[in-house]
Amino acid sequence: MLDTNVSQSVIDHGIALGADFAELFVERKRINHIQTLSREVQSVQSGIDFGIGIRLVYGDKVLYGYTNKTDEEELKRITSEIAARDRRDAESGPTTFDYREAPDMHPATITLSQDSAVEAKVAFLLKAEQTAHMASDQISQTTGMCMQHEQAIELFNSEGLHTTDTRNYTRAYISAIASDGDEQATGSWNDGGLTGWELRDDIDPEAAGTEASRQALVNLSAKPCPPGRMPVVIGPGFGGVIFHEACGHLLETTSVAKKASVFHDQMGKLIANPVVNAVDDGTMAKKWGSINIDDEGMETQRTQLIKDGVLTSFLVDRIGAQQTGYARTGSGRRQDYTYAPASRMRNTFIEPGNDEIDDMIGSIDKGLYAAHMGGGSVKPGTGEFNFAVVEGYYVEDGKVQYPVKAATLISTGPAVLKEISMVGKDFALGCGMCGSVSGGIPTTVGQPTLKVDDILVGGNA
Amino acid sequence: MTTSENAARVMELVRAAGATGDLIVEEGQSLSLKARDGDLEEYKVSSRQVYGLRVIEDGHVGTAYSEASDPDALTAIVEDALTNASFASEEVHETILPNTGELETDDGLLHPADDTHIEAKIELALSVERELASRDKITSVPYNGVQDNSKERHIFSSSGLSARSRSRVCVCYAFAVAEDGDRNALEGTGNASRLFGDLNGARIVDKAHQACLDILDGKPVASRHYDVIFDEESQPRVFDVFASMFSGKSAKDGVNPMRDKVGEVIADPRLTILDSPLLADGLGYALFDAEGTATRATPLIVDGRLETLIHNSATASHFSVHTTGHARRSPKSTLGVSLHQMEIAGGDEPDDGSLRAGEYLELTNLEGLHSGGNAISGDFSFGAAGYLCKDGERVQPVRGITVAGNFYQMLKKIAAIGDVQKWNWEKESLMPSIRFSDVAISG
Repeated sequence: MLDTNVSQSVIDHGIALGADFAELFVERKRINHIQTLSREVQSVQSGIDFGIGIRLVYGDKVLYGYTNKTDEEELKRITSEIAARDRRDAESGPTTFDYREAPDMHPATITLSQDSAVEAKVAFLLKAEQTAHMASDQISQTTGMCMQHEQAIELFNSEGLHTTDTRNYTRAYISAIASDGDEQATGSWNDGGLTGWELRDDIDPEAAGTEASRQALVNLSAKPCPPGRMPVVIGPGFGGVIFHEACGHLLETTSVAKKASVFHDQMGKLIANPVVNAVDDGTMAKKWGSINIDDEGMETQRTQLIKDGVLTSFLVDRIGAQQTGYARTGSGRRQDYTYAPASRMRNTFIEPGNDEIDDMIGSIDKGLYAAHMGGGSVKPGTGEFNFAVVEGYYVEDGKVQYPVKAATLISTGPAVLKEISMVGKDFALGCGMCGSVSGGIPTTVGQPTLKVDDILVGGNA
Repeated sequence: MTTSENAARVMELVRAAGATGDLIVEEGQSLSLKARDGDLEEYKVSSRQVYGLRVIEDGHVGTAYSEASDPDALTAIVEDALTNASFASEEVHETILPNTGELETDDGLLHPADDTHIEAKIELALSVERELASRDKITSVPYNGVQDNSKERHIFSSSGLSARSRSRVCVCYAFAVAEDGDRNALEGTGNASRLFGDLNGARIVDKAHQACLDILDGKPVASRHYDVIFDEESQPRVFDVFASMFSGKSAKDGVNPMRDKVGEVIADPRLTILDSPLLADGLGYALFDAEGTATRATPLIVDGRLETLIHNSATASHFSVHTTGHARRSPKSTLGVSLHQMEIAGGDEPDDGSLRAGEYLELTNLEGLHSGGNAISGDFSFGAAGYLCKDGERVQPVRGITVAGNFYQMLKKIAAIGDVQKWNWEKESLMPSIRFSDVAISG
């Protein structure tokens, strides 16, 4: 995408200004978004994002600039501007690039550059909406969305790296609103992957519509949630957001290096109940959070974060490795060319255990079964997190009693990891978008059903 | 080629295809600085532009955008937008308004001349981090920064509209970690202004430090219902979660529970909410909307009665009313609506008197607003921190609690409205403190 001679000239210019490291991140992203509403096509959008990010590193300091322009003069101007205050005599000479093609572990077939497949996507969404409406007269509204991105990147750096990669992302989403005249409630379904529109082979519009309407109808009948500290059983798949928020963000060297993570000095120590094993894995075939190479050009890997409750690895990008001394884990990620990379998660999950969900529910005197979770957030410096329950049930005497609404779970990462006492066998993943210092990126969360012995439940009963 | 020449070429292609359309062009420059351990950790500059086209052909709407502006790219967005329109369902209400002529905002107001040298900006970033890190019990300032963002936005339409607005926002913020034994806290604040020289680093340091110390000893309170006052930072965030209750677009789409309640009393009769785009002190100031329609103050709720929803020309046509000048469209989005800057009228209760009589919780920190609130049902449950107060005095810092309820019901359970309007630090909304009664707190 960017002429190699221009790239070399700009990288050499950065090094001549005394930078320890110089990098160009070139991105061209094609997007296509389809939205449906009330079983009609509401909008079809397309676009091209294109730009170049320039990163210079002086010691631990990161200088970053970006532009939409590709001419050598503009790229050198930005390089000079960001280096103006730090320029010094160069310690190394010109760069020679060694081009290496990234291995394509997640090949896509129906890509945007070949076929945006609008009609097929519309047919999927309308079928799913129709199915949701047919579930009940109480389903008052439905919406659908299908997005597909094709992100081509090219990386050059002063260590001689020159590589390219193409990421194809496709995701579909269905929502339903149930109404009884007085109150309204929502339900949703979504799935996606690092794949083209062949995603259609793995998703069923009728199942999608059925799930969205089922959840909306359950929530319409839900009662206010009893609040207080109680045991909670968290369902599989997107329930893994608890680990993502409670622990994953605290293991990113972006926080660790600043000592802004409560786990920064806990390597090799028991930080979770010994039943907990956790992984961040970028290699899983065609999963939403997978990658071939990270946004610094390093091949992705599977990283064991916690083994038998003991902290075994952080998530380490290039600058994080430099600052902490830990080896890079291929975790340097960014939303697009407008952000410098930072250590981020990929597919992050708690591994399956040996417990049965019936035993977990059966062990509860008074508590909550959080069947489906929504999003959440965390303060890395203190580990305080919160996340929303989008489908929950009150449990009493070991039995599910009734659905509840507007429940939130809050705790701290260190506390909740030690309160996980039972881990099930029913492992699943769920996809989402994770926002942090390097923007919003696709990540997968996951877990089997698990039981947290004591956590604060917010509710309105 | 200039932006105007590129726009003229795009409009020519749109007309040649027998369509109408409008083009939004945004060009921006930004500077972002972050400090760590007394030195700059990040220095980021940018220069960016994007062209976003909306076309309407035979009642079908399509959009496309490009960050490239070469002739091929501009031709491609016209072709792509027309192709996208061919897939869309017919939308009889969406048209390109017959707004014509040239509109321009006042650079002296929205983009005032400011020759602050880069070294002064760097020094502000460094000094805030350095000063805050040196304060008692502060162990790090992991989140801090100084930003200077300029944006120029053009709207061109096939009707002949040419509108240009230019704006600038400077920001400084800092969030610090305080530790004392095994207790810790992460708190912070910021400043925003159109003039860099108005940013007050010393005030940020003092406020962030005090907030850390104040909350450090926080602990949960007993689970029950309390009177609650959200502070001037968290109250706008709560209202923002449910701002789509005013959206004509959400109403048209059937996802706004207020759709059929215009003219009805939906809140305490002492509550009056406006959208006030012409309050020049706010950074949400807007002279015209994304369709080039002049803005004005819009009463939304008056004495508890819902007066209107906010509309662009399409949602207004759908409901057979007039646009309220709330069209929103970025180059990368379809036509929608949004508030410019929310204003809540001051009430009768002295802010430092009867508003704060007796026991109540002052909530200064809310977490999980994007996931814990449902604008369709009104239900919410957020993580929270703040202070248990009595007669205006903070008697105990509170952490590890949740606040839950239904926002639409909460609007009817207002105990008192203060008499002093305050901007939040981002200067996006102007509100008095409101005391809500009987709010569920779990601790």
